[in-house]
Amino acid sequence: MTAAIDIRGVTKIYNPGSNQPVKALDDVSLTINDNEFFTLLGPSGCGKTTLLRLIAGFEQVSGGEIMLFDDEIENLEPNRRPVNTVFQHYALFPHMTVAQNVAFGLERLKKPRPEIKATVERVLSLVKMKHLADRRPNQLSGGQQQRVALARALAPSPKVLLLDEPLSALDLKLRQAMREELKQLQKETGITFVFVTHDQEEALAMSDRIAVMSEGEVQQIGGPTDIYEHPLNRFVADFIGDTNFLDGEIVDLNEDLVTCRIGEQSMFEAENSGGHRVGDRVTLFLRPEKIRLSTPDDAVSTESRPGTVANIVYLGNQAAYTVDMGDGVELTAQARPREDGKLPFAVGDSLAVGFSARALRVLAQ
Amino acid sequence: MSSVPMENTTSPRKSKKALPVGHYRGLASWTVVFFVFLYLPIVVLIFYSFNANRMVMNWGGFGIDWYIKAFQNDDIQSAVWNSLVVATVATVVATAIATVGALVLARGGNFRGKTISLGLITLPLMVPEIVTAVAVLIFFAAIGLNWGLGNVIIAHTTFCIPFAFMPIRARLEGMDTSLEQAARDLYASEWETFRYVTVPLLMPGILAGAMLSFVISMDDFIITLMVGGAGSTTLPVYIYSMIRRGLTPEINAVSTLLLLVSIAIVTAYWIMSRKTET
Repeated sequence: MTAAIDIRGVTKIYNPGSNQPVKALDDVSLTINDNEFFTLLGPSGCGKTTLLRLIAGFEQVSGGEIMLFDDEIENLEPNRRPVNTVFQHYALFPHMTVAQNVAFGLERLKKPRPEIKATVERVLSLVKMKHLADRRPNQLSGGQQQRVALARALAPSPKVLLLDEPLSALDLKLRQAMREELKQLQKETGITFVFVTHDQEEALAMSDRIAVMSEGEVQQIGGPTDIYEHPLNRFVADFIGDTNFLDGEIVDLNEDLVTCRIGEQSMFEAENSGGHRVGDRVTLFLRPEKIRLSTPDDAVSTESRPGTVANIVYLGNQAAYTVDMGDGVELTAQARPREDGKLPFAVGDSLAVGFSARALRVLAQ
Repeated sequence: MSSVPMENTTSPRKSKKALPVGHYRGLASWTVVFFVFLYLPIVVLIFYSFNANRMVMNWGGFGIDWYIKAFQNDDIQSAVWNSLVVATVATVVATAIATVGALVLARGGNFRGKTISLGLITLPLMVPEIVTAVAVLIFFAAIGLNWGLGNVIIAHTTFCIPFAFMPIRARLEGMDTSLEQAARDLYASEWETFRYVTVPLLMPGILAGAMLSFVISMDDFIITLMVGGAGSTTLPVYIYSMIRRGLTPEINAVSTLLLLVSIAIVTAYWIMSRKTET
């Protein structure tokens, strides 16, 4: 697989000379493959946007190298880098029509007139905006401006397309529709997409691979399932989706399983990911949807334990149950409403709480 | 309630029912008094410019004789010409300098003396005009500069710069820098970004600054009187000298024409800024 972008030990420090230098990126290395939908995911201030701006050339690296298909680009001016950006608030030129906006990059590249005209028409129909080519940006809705911004960035056929939280200004329905379209667009064009977002759902739905970032460092890189099911540390597990964390100590282990003591005497078994020893302090994590709730009589699994419903949060298509397991341990689990719309359990009900040891994983501290 | 006045300042066009004027008793009559106070003298001035009588305040029937007389007056013609030359040159030079200054201060990042530079550019707005006039006069005398109308042009350019600077800087500060980044990202060099994105977006500010400069320069009296020697009389200075020789409706006619020029400039600006908005 060819690398589209290779980030090698990149560091970025803002205000380096001042008395308040800010380290936005700390020795970050990662490789983005050609024809990949790659997402930089993290909370605000984690350095994901800084990294994107370094690739685009709006900021200068403080150290390290950025390779674009074997060319070193970190010292080039933004207009010398064959990458294009879709900005968070679109940054469409208000004094130009949609067609003029899309043609801007091609004109700067001194393409011949007929070619510019043909390309503008092609990318505008790609994003279904051809019929509005003569409008000004302020005559368009947010979703339409978004499409124009995409078309403008795609028109010069960049080697890599950079997207800086492009969906954050849209409302929920439109955002969900645009997810599908972006994914489709990436497949159709074959251009490498680097997508920045703080929305984990967006990242899981669209990406081929995700880099989870926090405080200027990459925490984990992997496919959506890897990141969700096998987070490397507590930050990743916590940032992606809802999770139960159980802090305890390893008391026994064999090849497949480790046994941990949580609280005073509750024992939990978890998958052995290797490298653990008896006596280690560890955190176990368990996704709420891996927990089966049932009434004590219906309990099918021998692995189930008793618990009591402590709290319920109704979410429409499901309800989040906080279950008191005794010994100071609480677990969050999910249950769907029944067909008549009523919730299956009420606060104070006794439950059988079932989960398999394979659903529990050990996180590095 | 608290959002009402805010809405009023951010989008004056949209908030029609924001402040119910009728709720404040007596406001309507005060408003009328205010407008009468403001515009009645001007209306009287225009009215008597059509007086056929020699005496300004004695109505002798309608006539445009004084306009014809004013147009035939060689002194008035040369004063108008001087005023136009001074205002045009001063406006062009002052606006160019103000644009460059605003670009450096708004886009040049942080450099030493930025705050002081900003203060120094806007300070002339607060210096009493007579002080500036005396200072410029002494300065020209000290360096022995005696270019006639050129002296007036230099003086006008100097005091027009802050007036041109303010709207241009305001426009720049309100401009989204990501537009310029987008241009750079789309393969525009720094010059092309300036030419195709910054300047077109800055145009309303530049026009406002130029218009302000032109009107201020056309209107200036004190500095021109001090600096301008014989042969560099501008219209305001000439009108003042006419008054000293005795009031005739010719002054009214000339003043009315000056007012028309001002209104024409403001209208032209208004039409142009409406075009760039849509």
